[in-house]
Amino acid sequence: MNGTLIADWRERLGLTGGAAALKVRFLGVVVFLLLLCVAFSILSPRFFTFDNGRSILFSAAILMIAAVGQALVVLTGNLDLSVGSIMGLSAYVIYDIAGQFVELKPFVMVMAIALGAVLGLINGFLVAVLNIPSIVATLGTLSIYRGFTSFYANAQEVTSGTLPGWMRDLATGTVLGLPTYVWVAVLVVLIVGMALRYLPWGRRIYAYGSNSKAAHFYGLNSTQIVLGSYVGAGIIAAFAGVLLGAQVGNINSLLANGYELQVLAAVVIGGVSIWGGTGSVYGAAIGAIVLATINNGLVLLQVQEFYRLLIQGVAIVLAVAVDAIVRNKVQSATSRRSITEVKS
Amino acid sequence: MFNRKRQGSRLVTAIATVAAAGLLLAGCSSTAPTGAGPEASGDEVKIFMAPKFTGLAYFEVAREGGEEAGEDLGFDFQYIGSDKPDATEQIATLTNAIPQAPAALVVSAIDGDAVAPALKQAREAGIKVVTYDADAAVDSRDLFVNQLSYELAAQVMLDAALVNSPDGGQVAFISASPSAPNHTAHVKIMKELIDSDPAYSSLSYIDTVQFAGDDTAKSQEIALNLIQANPDLKVIISSSAVSAPAAQQAIINAGKGGEVFATGFALASSVSDFIKSGDSKAFALWDPAELGYVATVAAFQLATGVIKGEEGETIDAGPAGTYTIGKDGEVLYDKPLIFTADNIDDYSF
Amino acid sequence: MTRFVRSYSWELLLVVLIVVAGIWSSNLSPYFLDPVNLLTSAQFFVIFSLMAFGLFPVVVHGEIDISLASTLAVGSVMFGQLAVAGVPLIVALPIVLLATGILGAINGVLVAVAGLPSLAVTLGTLGAYRGLAYILAGDTGITGIPAEYRTLGSTWVGIVPLAVLLVLVVAAAFWVLMATTPFGRYSYALGNNSAASTMAGAPVARTRIAAYTLAGVMSGLAGLVWVSQYQSARGDNADGTILFVLTAVVLGGVSIKGGSGRAVGVLLAIILLGTIQTGMKLANVPGTSQTLVIGALLIGSIGIPSALQLLRRRFGVRRPAS
Repeated sequence: MNGTLIADWRERLGLTGGAAALKVRFLGVVVFLLLLCVAFSILSPRFFTFDNGRSILFSAAILMIAAVGQALVVLTGNLDLSVGSIMGLSAYVIYDIAGQFVELKPFVMVMAIALGAVLGLINGFLVAVLNIPSIVATLGTLSIYRGFTSFYANAQEVTSGTLPGWMRDLATGTVLGLPTYVWVAVLVVLIVGMALRYLPWGRRIYAYGSNSKAAHFYGLNSTQIVLGSYVGAGIIAAFAGVLLGAQVGNINSLLANGYELQVLAAVVIGGVSIWGGTGSVYGAAIGAIVLATINNGLVLLQVQEFYRLLIQGVAIVLAVAVDAIVRNKVQSATSRRSITEVKS
Repeated sequence: MFNRKRQGSRLVTAIATVAAAGLLLAGCSSTAPTGAGPEASGDEVKIFMAPKFTGLAYFEVAREGGEEAGEDLGFDFQYIGSDKPDATEQIATLTNAIPQAPAALVVSAIDGDAVAPALKQAREAGIKVVTYDADAAVDSRDLFVNQLSYELAAQVMLDAALVNSPDGGQVAFISASPSAPNHTAHVKIMKELIDSDPAYSSLSYIDTVQFAGDDTAKSQEIALNLIQANPDLKVIISSSAVSAPAAQQAIINAGKGGEVFATGFALASSVSDFIKSGDSKAFALWDPAELGYVATVAAFQLATGVIKGEEGETIDAGPAGTYTIGKDGEVLYDKPLIFTADNIDDYSF
Repeated sequence: MTRFVRSYSWELLLVVLIVVAGIWSSNLSPYFLDPVNLLTSAQFFVIFSLMAFGLFPVVVHGEIDISLASTLAVGSVMFGQLAVAGVPLIVALPIVLLATGILGAINGVLVAVAGLPSLAVTLGTLGAYRGLAYILAGDTGITGIPAEYRTLGSTWVGIVPLAVLLVLVVAAAFWVLMATTPFGRYSYALGNNSAASTMAGAPVARTRIAAYTLAGVMSGLAGLVWVSQYQSARGDNADGTILFVLTAVVLGGVSIKGGSGRAVGVLLAIILLGTIQTGMKLANVPGTSQTLVIGALLIGSIGIPSALQLLRRRFGVRRPAS
């Protein structure tokens, strides 16, 4: 047979096919962030300081974590609109219980993981087993989880004094000059990112996401994959929720109400394709930083709130457009390469 | 053949449509038909309290005041509303309250203009309308029990700012939304006072107002960015009981507790930790329970004809004091409270 | 007869649910069954109905548009300002509908021509158009709307509010649009199988852009209804209501994947949601329960038939092939 493919230097470096697509998409959002930073630095002298950068990262930390969780689901071609409600529910319920049963205070993280897993499992069940389209299912659970939080809270607040001391320290502490939350966020991003890259489970998510119809024929158990992605997203969202709770201090039943739109925006800006299969959690994390940067820059420039909404909206559309252009370029470049190689 | 048939049926449809439209136009009227509604129930007076939305602790405290009024004066008090902070939800609640024929509605309006038609409808149906905490359009309600006149509110917040930072300094404002009339008025008057009143000459302010939509996380992000943007910032002031404590928490998170302060209106329970730890020296508010009590009593007195809602009349709210009705049906409660380390434990709300 | 039942099964289920909800609501509250009260409450849902009908063809295409509430706000603010400036309604109507139509067309172009995912695009325009509404509205709300603009909200034909009649007319118009016109046929075809339809020569871009433009126009119309009913306009009008509109469309049997759904289904879904909400509000059911019920209804309506199908497959009796 005559068709041995020439091992091109590009292939060896992993710059063709899927790997290239990943790297270049990720690059797109990084470039976008750099452009933003340059623009703001020129327009405002206070932007490019270590202090301000640290502040931006702190503001972005929780959104980064939530975006990573959402990316898991979006990579399978689904959505999780209930992320804000999961965050609010976990923060309120867990801190309320820990406030009443002091012995549980050290275990809030564990409780968060457990609660998040349950809530995510419900989402996953609805989507993977009952085949309810994910927009519909998570739109329903968004209401149900938020309604439950409202019902449980009965208009009371969980005040900052009742929060476990070590969580409050986590929120206010710094390690090596950066807020602890930033380190936590980076850790989460790295762990999930590497799991997706190196664990077979992770690669199955990408495989399923790129072609869910054909996945069955590859022997992939789509139910397990989707269920798993929702459980993972639920755990991460609940984790982000308790972190947010410690950050805000006073928690009411509307915490993180509407947060899902911000999370989706971060994911989309970060180059994770809504259709599934491409994108990375690193991109989603950078997307969160982009949003925080825009918010920060506009306050620095004393731009009025109305324009902030307009600019954020335009930024999302731009990011998606850039992403699409990049995707097209990569696709045409790599597919042409393969055809010419086989031909020769 | 087919074409003619289709043309024929199309013609018939067209004629029918025109005829129907003609009938419709003939039948148009612009007076609302009145519903059957329940007959005026003799003795049991019903009063509904509708907060902006039911999830906020501040409104829950006001509710307790209303309930106490119900017990003291012997009427049926009900608390209605949606748990979502949406203007359309509140309008739906109020529209559906009318057929239940309460004697009076006590309302804190999310969108004071959008809710006006529904309130006017209520008044036309004989229901008395009293607003509290956040007013609606003047001609849509009988009375407005204002916790603090806008001028007094502005002064109290600036006074609290000076308690936190006696040497004055730069001030930034966080409001709920550009269309919240009380917050907008507070900020405008605060700016005027800082400009003209010698008592506040040590203060300066940042002109651009930030909006946090009563959202805790957003308030924090804005507070952080304000600190970054303005190195001379001393005090962040907010009329929103959600944003003021959230901003204070953000300051503590950023490690600037004691250098920068947040103040404004907040429940004592939300800020007692800050006051006790010394990160903030003063917050302000009023007694929401008493406000709810007074508003509900006013509604009851209107409904039972004890007062007519005219300027100059007095409302006797028993243990809560007496109040005079001022211009445009505004009743000034005007009992501000400033929470400091000395008195924070006296308040249970 | 069986063909009718099977083809309209979802709509018939909705009718059954409406009857059940009606009975439940009248048990909850004695004020429910008064026709005048019902129609007054129905008025409240006109705005959502118009948006839902606008969203309907877009979802049939297999796309989505979550920016409609923001477009409504641009519409209502524009109407408000034109009204206060003394512009007659006849002149203002085409101006505003053109503007909101253009906003919709922008969405359409980004989705159909640039090929961007509709959720992401409309997520962006949701914020952008909302910001635009705030910028146009300025600091305060717009009040003092002249009587001409308030007609829609304050006219009755007999005991039926004019706005409710408007919804019925719009429902009929969309039924005709989607069931008989080429636009409707292409929409269903594209929703079912976009690639095949493109190769069969269906004008993809044009139809998609038309659907989004129509959605924008409907939102603008809803903005007029807002101004007429609430006699005011603000930048935050209808903020957060898109989820309810989406719920109505999905409940109406319009598949989120595209290719199916009927106007009458959307209308019945709105009536169902309206019946439940009105009943709960008339009985002063706490807000939290209202939220829970709507969420459960959404999931149940799609989940239960699906669960039944699953169970049938697992435990069903096999019929011999005849």
